Amino acid sequence: MPEKKMIELQGVCKKVASGNHSLTILQPTDLSVAAGEFVSIIGPSGSGKSTLLGLIAGLDVPTSGHVFVDTVDVTDLDEDRLAKFRGENVGFVFQFFHLIPSLKAIENIAVPLEIAGERDAFKKARDLLDEVGLTARGDHYPWQLSGGEQQRVAIARALANDPQVLLADEPTGNLDSRSGGQVVDLLLKVNKVLGTTIVMVTHDSELTSRSSRVLKMRDGKLDLH
Amino acid sequence: MSMLFVLKMMWRELRASWTRLTFFFLCLAIGVASIVSLRSLVQNIQTSLDKEAKSVLGADVSLRTEQPWSDELDAVIKTRLLSVQSVQQTRTIDVTTVARANEGIDSTARVVEVRGVEEAFPFYGAFELLGSEDYSFDLLRDNGALVAPEVLSQLNVSIGDRVIIGALSFVVRGVIQKEPGRRMGGLGLGPRILVSYVGVKDAGLQGVASRANRQLLLKVNENRIESLVDELQVDLKDSFVRVSSYSETGNRIQENLKRTENYLSLVGLGIVILGGIGVWSVTRVFIQERIRSISILKCLGSTNYQVLAIYVLQVLCLGIGGSFLGLGLAKVSLMSVPDSLTEQAALMAGISNIAIDISSSAALQGLAVGVLVSMFFAFVPLLEIRHVKPLLLMRQGGNESESDFDWVRTVTTAFVGLGLVLLAIWQAGSFEIGLYVVGGFSLVGCTLYGLVGVVKHVVSPLEKSRWFVIRHAALSLRRPGNQTKVVLLSVGLGSFFIIGIQATQLNILRAFELELQEDGPDMFMIDVQQDQADGVKEIVTSGGDGALRLIPVLRARITGVDGKTLDFDSAREARSAGLGREYTVTYRSFLEENEKILLGEFWDETQAIEPEVSIEKDLYEDRDINLGDVIHFNVMGRNFPARVTSVREVRWDDSRNGGFFFLFRPGSFGDAPHSYLAFVKGPEGSEARIAVQQQIMSRYPNVSVIDGLTVIGTVRRMLDYVALAISIVGAIALFSGSLILIGSVAMTKFQRIYESAIFKTLGVDSRSLGLMLAVEYGLLGFVAGVVGSIGSLFLTWVLTRQVFSLPWDPFVTLNIFGVIATTALVVLVGLLSSIDVLKRRPLAALHAE
Repeated sequence: MPEKKMIELQGVCKKVASGNHSLTILQPTDLSVAAGEFVSIIGPSGSGKSTLLGLIAGLDVPTSGHVFVDTVDVTDLDEDRLAKFRGENVGFVFQFFHLIPSLKAIENIAVPLEIAGERDAFKKARDLLDEVGLTARGDHYPWQLSGGEQQRVAIARALANDPQVLLADEPTGNLDSRSGGQVVDLLLKVNKVLGTTIVMVTHDSELTSRSSRVLKMRDGKLDLH
Repeated sequence: MSMLFVLKMMWRELRASWTRLTFFFLCLAIGVASIVSLRSLVQNIQTSLDKEAKSVLGADVSLRTEQPWSDELDAVIKTRLLSVQSVQQTRTIDVTTVARANEGIDSTARVVEVRGVEEAFPFYGAFELLGSEDYSFDLLRDNGALVAPEVLSQLNVSIGDRVIIGALSFVVRGVIQKEPGRRMGGLGLGPRILVSYVGVKDAGLQGVASRANRQLLLKVNENRIESLVDELQVDLKDSFVRVSSYSETGNRIQENLKRTENYLSLVGLGIVILGGIGVWSVTRVFIQERIRSISILKCLGSTNYQVLAIYVLQVLCLGIGGSFLGLGLAKVSLMSVPDSLTEQAALMAGISNIAIDISSSAALQGLAVGVLVSMFFAFVPLLEIRHVKPLLLMRQGGNESESDFDWVRTVTTAFVGLGLVLLAIWQAGSFEIGLYVVGGFSLVGCTLYGLVGVVKHVVSPLEKSRWFVIRHAALSLRRPGNQTKVVLLSVGLGSFFIIGIQATQLNILRAFELELQEDGPDMFMIDVQQDQADGVKEIVTSGGDGALRLIPVLRARITGVDGKTLDFDSAREARSAGLGREYTVTYRSFLEENEKILLGEFWDETQAIEPEVSIEKDLYEDRDINLGDVIHFNVMGRNFPARVTSVREVRWDDSRNGGFFFLFRPGSFGDAPHSYLAFVKGPEGSEARIAVQQQIMSRYPNVSVIDGLTVIGTVRRMLDYVALAISIVGAIALFSGSLILIGSVAMTKFQRIYESAIFKTLGVDSRSLGLMLAVEYGLLGFVAGVVGSIGSLFLTWVLTRQVFSLPWDPFVTLNIFGVIATTALVVLVGLLSSIDVLKRRPLAALHAE
């Protein structure tokens, strides 16, 4: 049985206006990621890594080309349908965590479940909190948590709807090495146990060494290893 | 879509930020409270008036005339009443005459107002007598009389004594405390004596009394009242009979009440709109701060609609909460209205009592206005939520809004504007005034909006200043994310409203002051003959402290204009020409303070060669009398043709100097006899006053002395209350307006925290940062103050001229003071609210970002 393609980019290109002329920040790119893969993207600052990630998540629209996630052409969806698709199929982890400051940890995790209309949102959120080892911290606000704890809450939130794809933008970039290590372990566990496809932008050599494939980017071009 | 999610998120957001937002909804609450309490108060009085209107008249319908009832009239009325089922009728007659005590040392005659009534009077309401005795018509039978308390003291009689009125002597059988058909505050020539209708006839008062007022009062079915009035008005249109229903008698008071209610509500609406501007600015800043949360929600799968719903619901909740808080405030403030005040108000309105409570219609209006205004003002800034992109989470920097034309926002703004206009029209109770007020707000708003660009342009040379502080203060006015627009708009509109209301208040209070002059005349004499003037002067100056003022008066009837003689047999024709009535006219060689020549030229001190007259402007405008026209006056049977040589404006509200429609040049009447009206400030103390009156009346029985002190006192008290109400409303407007200004300016600090931190990191000290802020805020405050101040002139003009029909004067010092105060307030609040920004360690701010 052929390997299932979870993510596929066909000639995806991104240009932005810069003054009077346009600047290409992502050259036309083809890429295919199989289900259950753990892919790392590395490259210097400004090479287009985050742009690529944003395009896969449907946070941004390519200038040309198509992005398929689980055979759905996300470039075809309007903003609200895209939001719904993201909520059900894609989890996101950011370098700066991006928890909602006015919500407690448990509520932050429950939000995607509530958006999806899940009945037992809080029960599931509590399970996820246990999962990331923060059982006692559910009623704390983000500012009451350490960076590592915040990121673990963010990962729990990203996993809330059992997404097939987890996208991570430098998830350890803002953490000390011990917290970073915990986050890495968590991501690997997710990949192994749940079979979630992970695409991650990182500078962390430990992470790249433990991923199944490493992609290198330079000047908006993908260098396939 | 899960509505539950939206509700939960709304609650969580509210939990986190309600303290920040509450301030503005408090302002909203104050506005709602003023609308509800003021409207309720006025409506309470109105309801009580409506309820008791019948007992004020004592009947359903009144037919009133100064002429004796003729057989012809009686026949017409009788025919009409045949068509009405179960009609009851009764007659009254009011005569101003003199009464004297029958026995005793002091038998001086006093002017009294005698009312003759029949057994059926009154149909509604009741007489109240002093003591425990109830009124019954039997007390008036066989020459009985009931008298006002003043009669006892003035004639020195007591119950059981006799008083002589006309050809009869009446036995005083009781003292009237309250009577239907008479309001307090009406200027009577003397105290009341109530006798039977037959008694007035028997005393021979009907024939001689020129000031007799005759009424035929009817009681009919409620649903027949209006139609009967209409029919009788048609039947009697050729006579001098006025037909009115009970509901019309209170009309003037009710019109004034309505006007007051609408003015007060309009001020309330203004406060709410200011609160709305506060809501607008806080929502803007709030959304700016929430951009990250919004993009996270969108990243996690929330649709635009869901996110918008979360915040709209939040505003709705706070709007409802603020409005209910306003209701509570209104309830508390109404409860604290002292009973003595409502009793006074009831007494002045001629009704028994006024129940003070929140009226349901006022409560509903207040709630609706509070919720609508908060929604209107929050909705447009909330629309920015649609432009927040989840991609923001991956990039540093602000959220770039789309440069495309945003038609949703444009259409929404248009709808919000329309909504505000409708709201103002509804609250003002007048299309015109609502339009004026919203027009004023938008005009000032647009001017300020337009000035944003101008200000930025004008200060641009300062950006090259060598002084760092000035350079950066100027630069910060046009930096991305600057607060120029918000501060200019909210402060400008705030000062526009506050200065406008204060100036209106000054205009109104000044108009009142003219009527409330403590040293104004309070004793009046009618019919002082030429040869009595000196004698009267002597009595008054020896007994009183005031100088006597004598105004020569003649009674003149107009018989025609430019040779067109009027036929007096037809009342209708005379009426339609507006000239049939008799006028009291005077002559003098100077203009009073409350007069101004509009057209033509006023005469000099020399005597008239041929009669000349100056007319009041209403006659010129409404009666089509022009300069050069010759008006024929009939004075005591003699014809005086007088040429119109000028048109005057008379400020009737300034009653110190009285007012005359026709003013003649001295000498116009040759040697025609005239009498004087005399004005004097009487002595202090009732005994001294009575002494003066008695001396004059005993020496000159033809002279009527009217003591206006009681009436003037009542009017003064009433105006005092109105002035108090207006001042309280003005103070509320000032207070809540300032609160909103403070809030709006203070909100702008949140955008300064980050830039101040960077400045500090780069080595700028707190003092220079403070100066920079002071210069920037000072500039904004000044421009906003100037525009608001100029706009307020317009607002004041509309309110005084259109709402109150009072003369309008600009108060330049108030306007200048307003500009200075606005500038100072903005600088002060800007600096005070930024103290923590200035003191904060830069690292904390940078970390927070």
